Amino acid sequence: MAKKAVGTVRITERSLFYWILRRHRPSQIFLLLVILVSLFFKVFPLEMQKRIINEAIYLKEIELLYLYCGLYIGAVFIAGLLKYITNVLQVYIGQKILVEMRQELYHHVLQLPLQFYRKMQPGTVISAMTAELNAIGFFLGGAIAIPVTSVLTFIVFIGFMINLNPLLAMLSMSIYPFELVVIPYLQKKYNELNKKRVRTTRKMANVVNESISGIHEIHGNASYVLEEKKLLTFVMKLYKLMRRLFLFKYGIKFANNFFQSLGPFILFLVGGYMAIHGHFTLGALVAFLSAYEKVYDPWKELIEYYQSYQDAQIRYAQIMKIFDLDPPHLLLPPPERESYSLDGNIILRNVSYTVGDGVRLLENINLEIKKNQQIALVGYSGSGKSTLALLIAQLYDASQGNISIDDHDIDTLCKHDIGKNVAMIAQQPFIFSGTILENLLYSCQAISDGQAEIDKEQIRKVIRDVGLENDVLRFGLQAVLSPDECAPFRDKFLRMRQIIHTTLRDEFAQAIEFYDVDSYLYYSTVRDNIVFGDSMTGEYAIAKLPENKAFMQLLAEEKLENPLLAMGLAIASQSVSLLADFQDDEFFFRDNPMEMEEFSVYSELLERSKGHQPENSDDRKRLLVLALRYIPRKHSIVSLPAALEKKIVAARYSFLRHVVHVDIEQCKNVTFSSSVVPIFSEVGDFIPFCPSEYLYTRTLRENILFGAMKAERMLIEHLRELASKAFASEQLLDEVLDIGLDFEVGSKGDRLSGGQKQKLAIARSFLKDAPILVMDEATASLDNSSQAKIQEILETDYRGKKTVVAVIHRLDLTAAYDRIFVLKAGRIIEQGTYYELMERKGDFYGLVKAES
Amino acid sequence: MDSSKQNPEIQELEQLVDIQEFLNRSFVFAGLPGGAAKLFAYLAKEESYSKGQVILEEGNRCDRCFLIVAGEVDIYQHYDGRRFHLQLLDAEGLNYFGELALLSEFNWFFSARAWTDVILLSISREAFGKVMERYPDSYQSMVKKIIDLRIRRFVDQSQYLMANIAPGAWREEPPSE
Repeated sequence: MAKKAVGTVRITERSLFYWILRRHRPSQIFLLLVILVSLFFKVFPLEMQKRIINEAIYLKEIELLYLYCGLYIGAVFIAGLLKYITNVLQVYIGQKILVEMRQELYHHVLQLPLQFYRKMQPGTVISAMTAELNAIGFFLGGAIAIPVTSVLTFIVFIGFMINLNPLLAMLSMSIYPFELVVIPYLQKKYNELNKKRVRTTRKMANVVNESISGIHEIHGNASYVLEEKKLLTFVMKLYKLMRRLFLFKYGIKFANNFFQSLGPFILFLVGGYMAIHGHFTLGALVAFLSAYEKVYDPWKELIEYYQSYQDAQIRYAQIMKIFDLDPPHLLLPPPERESYSLDGNIILRNVSYTVGDGVRLLENINLEIKKNQQIALVGYSGSGKSTLALLIAQLYDASQGNISIDDHDIDTLCKHDIGKNVAMIAQQPFIFSGTILENLLYSCQAISDGQAEIDKEQIRKVIRDVGLENDVLRFGLQAVLSPDECAPFRDKFLRMRQIIHTTLRDEFAQAIEFYDVDSYLYYSTVRDNIVFGDSMTGEYAIAKLPENKAFMQLLAEEKLENPLLAMGLAIASQSVSLLADFQDDEFFFRDNPMEMEEFSVYSELLERSKGHQPENSDDRKRLLVLALRYIPRKHSIVSLPAALEKKIVAARYSFLRHVVHVDIEQCKNVTFSSSVVPIFSEVGDFIPFCPSEYLYTRTLRENILFGAMKAERMLIEHLRELASKAFASEQLLDEVLDIGLDFEVGSKGDRLSGGQKQKLAIARSFLKDAPILVMDEATASLDNSSQAKIQEILETDYRGKKTVVAVIHRLDLTAAYDRIFVLKAGRIIEQGTYYELMERKGDFYGLVKAES
Repeated sequence: MDSSKQNPEIQELEQLVDIQEFLNRSFVFAGLPGGAAKLFAYLAKEESYSKGQVILEEGNRCDRCFLIVAGEVDIYQHYDGRRFHLQLLDAEGLNYFGELALLSEFNWFFSARAWTDVILLSISREAFGKVMERYPDSYQSMVKKIIDLRIRRFVDQSQYLMANIAPGAWREEPPSE
């Protein structure tokens, strides 16, 4: 949080152990207790080993043997169970701390000034926030438990060994000091390389990130090799680093293993000598060897801990270094006040703005904007007009001078004050993944902490105002609705279908081939012609039909299997022979039942079957799939024999009657003029193309048109208008709009056009209804009529109600503004109304003339 | 791999042959190498319009040329608020329209509607470009034929207009002093 409470340390200044020592203390203390208890159960089996040999076996006491063995296995089991609990607790604590660390860091990162993000590559931030933090998480959980356990275990086992034989104990410990020199040396080298690895990985992530963001340019310029080379530089650098890194990593391992083996060597030599000469019992030697083996485990764990500590420390330091900046503004108002509700009087006094290398983008700007005044900022490109708008919206901070809103210095306003009172529309706005509605409500939800309740009518009005209505309607019509989503409007949608099929039938028949149970559908697939409906579970999808026993039996009974296989074979052989030279060009497969990716599959199939009907059942299925996809009026690769048409229509009746048990005769009695009551959809999984049924697997548009589209271009504007009017008269527009608002816009709004994104951003700001509106060439990417529409809203709805600061490129739009400020090289060189400036015949006049 | 020669069932299914033969009889597509003609036959789209239905409208972006397979097509232009008939095309005579759309992108400068029920074949500019990429040697002769066709149409339409022009619109000699 930007607001620093007294005594708290800025997140980037906290050490790694700040998190470990201050978070989840009860859990950590519990973990320590578990470890302490487990120590006893680790040593106890050693004592049992000694007693089994020295007492039970030596004295041949079978009872004692059973007792000691029982105690031994009991202790081993409890030690294992406690180890399991320790591990689980460690991960739990580690992950909990990681969650907090990530949340607090993200909170800090989001508030960093825009200048930070200008310099920072997104790949660096993403890599730091995800993979690098994850690696630290593994360390955090065991940060205290591992060293404490290891040291205590080490001490306890050494104590046990000294108790058995001090001389042997001292001898076997003599190798440890050597390790204390060698391993840290190797580790230091490893650390240096590891730092380089982190930096190189980040750079590599940036290259990949940039390529993905700029994939259009790469495809456009065919710069694949260029980009591959860029990445290869880092890949090779990383490879070399990793090679050296692992030399040291395994060097450390080798040293460890070697020292570990030295111990038993000394023990066998000295201990064996002593045992032979009777200075040491055999049981004690066995217990000693076990203890030595066990004492090495904590030692090894300590060394590994040291390595992972070093690794985590480096990662942590590197992450915190990136974000080591103070957020420039408080997030929330101080406790003594609420967020301000501002009027919108803006004053700039001697404002300058300098970028890092001393270049002045704005110099000595003085301007005053009164409440509800609308001003335009115009000027040459690079004159600083956008920077000025961003300063007013507190997205940048002035280097010198003072900006005030309603007598409040802008520096004293918190982010929440600005969020509530200033709506900003950027030239290239960002659209978040999610639905249109979520994006529309984004600004409102942000200032109300997700509690905003906006009236649906208000949302629809904004959508209409910005000219997004037709787009949203189209999205609504493309939606596939589940029965629950559809239920409230189902009757209305079927009423629309009725209108299209009765009142507007003649007009729409030009573009749509309506579903008719007695006719062959030339604009539908063979599958649709036979199945004539859909299953909610997708059981009768084309890919599944060749596996469907009932369907295949029907084809056999109706003597359709062979003709369809012949058709599949014809499609395959014609396509393979015709398109052999075009198998990589998607264009040639647009109107073919075969998909581009399947070309080689069918080509191989034909080679196997030498042009005849294949015997292989998989190949036959593949050919059947082609035939089932075939649409006579779309796929000119083969023609449909008239005899086959008749057979298919006959098979349709059989399929409906015998396979899905639908009495299609009932459908014939449903006329579009009678009231629509569902016959089938309430009953079973299969819904036939029947006028009374809503087809839940198809889009809303398909449901309303209730037929196959002859060609998209045939659904001309005239028909769309007719449909829209009918929608409106049936009061269905709002419902379809609401469905369209749930359209998923894709990552960064990629499923929207540039204009749609811009309109959505404008609608988002309008909906926020803030007293100050800052527009940075907000309508530049819109067509002239859309620009005019937005301008009209500013001139009517916003006039006298909101302060508007607009950076404008098209100067003919500036006439409606109360005042125009002309900028050149970071200074205001002219100001006045449109007519004053035109009369003055200065720079503005020159710009207007140049534009026309 | 041409399996159709061996398999009578497949021959029955071949409609490409019919379209190809139709194209071979047409002025622009006649004489093309077999592969190119077959590709055009494959990429051509059949379009049906009922009597009175608008096929294309003046001012819309052009994207394809049309060949008349059956029926009659009325070519007309709007001028001064009225609809002027320019040509009535049928399947037998000059059975093309929109041929310039194969070469360039522009807004239609005329409209077309079905005078009777019609069946058309259309070939898009994109399809034309794709085939020509593969058969660059044929491109020049195709362009020449399209220009020839355009001249024929221009002559045809001019003669029609002259035959129907208002009496005051023609002049024998320059006016005397």
